[in-house]
Amino acid sequence: MEWLNPYHLQVASFMLINAILGVSIFITLSTGQLSLGNAGFMSIGAYAAALLSTQHQVPIPVGILAGSLLAGAVGILVGIPSLRLSGVYLAIATLGFGEVLRAVLINWESLTGGAVGVAAIPQMGRVILSMARDGGFSPESIGLRNNQFISLSVFLVLLLCTLLSAAFFLRLSRTRVGRAYTAIKLDESAAEAAGIPVTYYKVLAFSQGALLSGFAGALFAHTTSFVSPGDFTYHRAVEILVFAVFGGSEHLLGPVFGAAFLTLLPEALRAISEYRYILYGILLVLMMVFRPQGVIDPALLRRFRRSPKETAA
Amino acid sequence: MRRSVRGIAVVACALFAFVFMGAEKAKPAAKPAAEPIRAKIGVISIITGQGAAYGEAITNGIKLARDEVNAKGEVLVDLKIEDSSGKQEQALAAAQKLINSEQVVAIIGPTLSNEMMVAGPEANASGVPIMGTSTTAKGITQIGKYVFRNALPESQAIPASIGKAVKKHNIRKVALLYGNDDVFTKSGFDTMKEVSGKLKLNILTIETFQKGQADYKAQLTKIASLKPDAVFCSALYNEGGVILAQARKMGLKVPFVGGNGFNSPKVIEIAKDAAEGLTVATPWFGESNDPKVKGFVAKYEKAYGKKPDQFAAQAYDAFHIMANALKAAGIADRAKLRDSLAATKNFQGVLGKFSFDAERDVVMSPIVLIVKGGKFTIFN
Amino acid sequence: MFLEQLINGVTLGSIYAIVALGYTLVFGVLDIINMAHGEIFMFGAFVGMLIVSKAGAPLPVAFLGAVVVTAAMGLLLERFALRPLRGRPGASHLASLISTIGVSILLENIAHKIFGSGNHLFETSFAEIRFEVGPVTIYLVQVVILLISLLLMTGLALWLARTRAGKALRATAENLETAGLLGVDTNRMITATVVIASAMGGVAGVLVGMAFNYINNQIGLSMGLKGLAIIIFGGMGSVYGAMAGGLILGLSETFVVAYGSSGYRDAIAFVAIIVILLIKPQGLFGQAHAEARR
Repeated sequence: MEWLNPYHLQVASFMLINAILGVSIFITLSTGQLSLGNAGFMSIGAYAAALLSTQHQVPIPVGILAGSLLAGAVGILVGIPSLRLSGVYLAIATLGFGEVLRAVLINWESLTGGAVGVAAIPQMGRVILSMARDGGFSPESIGLRNNQFISLSVFLVLLLCTLLSAAFFLRLSRTRVGRAYTAIKLDESAAEAAGIPVTYYKVLAFSQGALLSGFAGALFAHTTSFVSPGDFTYHRAVEILVFAVFGGSEHLLGPVFGAAFLTLLPEALRAISEYRYILYGILLVLMMVFRPQGVIDPALLRRFRRSPKETAA
Repeated sequence: MRRSVRGIAVVACALFAFVFMGAEKAKPAAKPAAEPIRAKIGVISIITGQGAAYGEAITNGIKLARDEVNAKGEVLVDLKIEDSSGKQEQALAAAQKLINSEQVVAIIGPTLSNEMMVAGPEANASGVPIMGTSTTAKGITQIGKYVFRNALPESQAIPASIGKAVKKHNIRKVALLYGNDDVFTKSGFDTMKEVSGKLKLNILTIETFQKGQADYKAQLTKIASLKPDAVFCSALYNEGGVILAQARKMGLKVPFVGGNGFNSPKVIEIAKDAAEGLTVATPWFGESNDPKVKGFVAKYEKAYGKKPDQFAAQAYDAFHIMANALKAAGIADRAKLRDSLAATKNFQGVLGKFSFDAERDVVMSPIVLIVKGGKFTIFN
Repeated sequence: MFLEQLINGVTLGSIYAIVALGYTLVFGVLDIINMAHGEIFMFGAFVGMLIVSKAGAPLPVAFLGAVVVTAAMGLLLERFALRPLRGRPGASHLASLISTIGVSILLENIAHKIFGSGNHLFETSFAEIRFEVGPVTIYLVQVVILLISLLLMTGLALWLARTRAGKALRATAENLETAGLLGVDTNRMITATVVIASAMGGVAGVLVGMAFNYINNQIGLSMGLKGLAIIIFGGMGSVYGAMAGGLILGLSETFVVAYGSSGYRDAIAFVAIIVILLIKPQGLFGQAHAEARR
């Protein structure tokens, strides 16, 4: 099992977390709303999970669930008034929300530790390892070193989380809810005239996106075992946006692909990582000019499915 | 539904393919100790992004030390330098790469305390000694027994500078000013507050600023109106220089006292005359007459065309400490190296006499400097 | 202290106002938020710095240089990041928002590559001229900044209301197709708008350098975000709203530091927009129909 390299698993793990973030912005975008607050919602999930597990010894899954739900709840609170806003107003207001949240994280020292952040968050791989050992299982018995086992279990947990979230929202897009989202995105007034409760669905989509960002944040906290306000800046919000814009915002697999690809790229080509943000900037403009729907769109996926030899790798 | 599952499977397979494509065969970690000792040491540093200036100084210092050590021939070190961009995720990925792909015997870095909070636990869990050269926040070496640092924390630097300044200027009332969105400046401030309490100083006000701010006039006007005897300022040189310049311009002439973060020739470059009277504490004094320091400064200037700062000096010493420990261990083995590192006592470097305490933290005595005539001089 | 802080606040507020005027002009005509405006402003500051501190040329040359460079950047921005998106079927306003975010990131990082992340000294003898009024010291720069911002505001308001070009601009803002049919060269009007707004950013950049003596590559982002908050607060597309919003924000930031806690200083702008959006979504001076815009 020597080929199982924790470094590669680590990179893959970040790809998966970013993929969940990509899905989170996709959901709000699928109703035609642009939220730049996803980094903020991510910080809510991350801090909630981190503080619950470090200060109140709450089990990790419960902390992650609580963090996601809290982010979702804040999403509803922010979403309802924001519905009076559309387009650019919403984008700027959510951007402002993220900045205010970051100021709170920095200043509310008694709770968040300020700029120092929250350290020594239980890392899920290590927790799984110690649980496995308590249960009498040793990774050596299947030929794995400890750190291989830790990274592998983190990767598998994240893979499961990503697949579940992607599958859920993929399925959602084929239901009544998903069709309502599409209708609202195409023409809000027409959707309203057709009897779709636009407000309800917009808040729903907004809080679903917030919940998923919080989920990704909580997973992030338990993967890196450290969070600080510097992780959730305006640049993070833009990065999440780039995932969706590059990958494609018309099909759920678009942002997933965008996140995976753009996380891997600087890692694979470390030489160009210096130009990462310059590249992001150019990419945003070029995509808007030449392919506003992103790399992956439904038409491409149809062609992809029709071709018989589609088994990649 | 079946179609979507298929789609996901395809993407997942593609992900796997990416992940495993580059997997290389791991090499044995250590070789038996035949002369000389050959070792692979990893470096995590900021090569790109906002903190690249620190990373450049650090890698320069390390490379200079490596050349010296390799020239001696007792220990032959192969450096593997990885970029973290100042980001936790990338620092973690770099640590994983060095530990597992490169199979290094030890890691020097990362640059920021935040990054160490993420990379440290990973190295510790994998049993790889990791030594920060510029990570000054609290709780770094408490991560675990494989985590070291040779960077003087602000909690040791600041009491020295404040102590001397208070005595000399007879300071009773102070104003505190610090960057609240940075770990380094925040923990420096915590120490300032503590020390002020111990010395029974009257804290008139506590003001904050954020990284990269351009306008400090509101805070400084408020501080000036309270008429303090001195301003204790926890800042990095970039913001610190601007603060000094704007303070002097508006007529706030009282002494400014800082910690190690303020100690850089750049402060004088940015603030010019306004830097006069700035008091800092640091283990690094580039104008010192110590032949070791002189030799280092000369070599560094020759190699890189500029004077070394504290980041370069700390990294330079860190590498020598590491090389000495390797020699003492007699073998490039992670656990043995850890033990001999922890036993480092009275190492004589360009930063003076250095030892690790029981918690692998720094034991050294800072010197207090004051800016006079456009350069740092010994405070007396 | 009150008077000194008042001066600090008005100076900061005037700079905010000039930055915000640039946003408001583009939004008023194009319904586009130009997210790259902050970075163009930063480049103006850097060009001014190079001319004044490095080349030692007099201040008017710095203004001229900054205006020329930022105007050219505005031209390029319009040509490559905005025009291709215009008139495409189904293109939403989000497209231009995203593409200008792209330009802003690009510019911020190019500046980082060229100038590094450190502070650069902006040295002029003009910035040292001061006079004492009773107990307080006023710098001539502070007066000039206020005057320039007022001048730009009234000039802009008059130009839009009274001149032929201004009318054409407003017609373009009202309805692109109709204005085109009526013989307005809409492409030219839009380009002119973006160029003028960018040049105003250049002026603001030099003023910031004069006022604070230091610039770095992050002022674009921080000032840009404040400018955005101001136009939402003051009312999108409203010239007076940008001015009033800028002054209000500058003063409240300063007085929060003076009489409260400096920790939340940067959050005030965003708290203000969240509050105003809840109470009066069209902003202080905005027209009611702004709400319906998308």
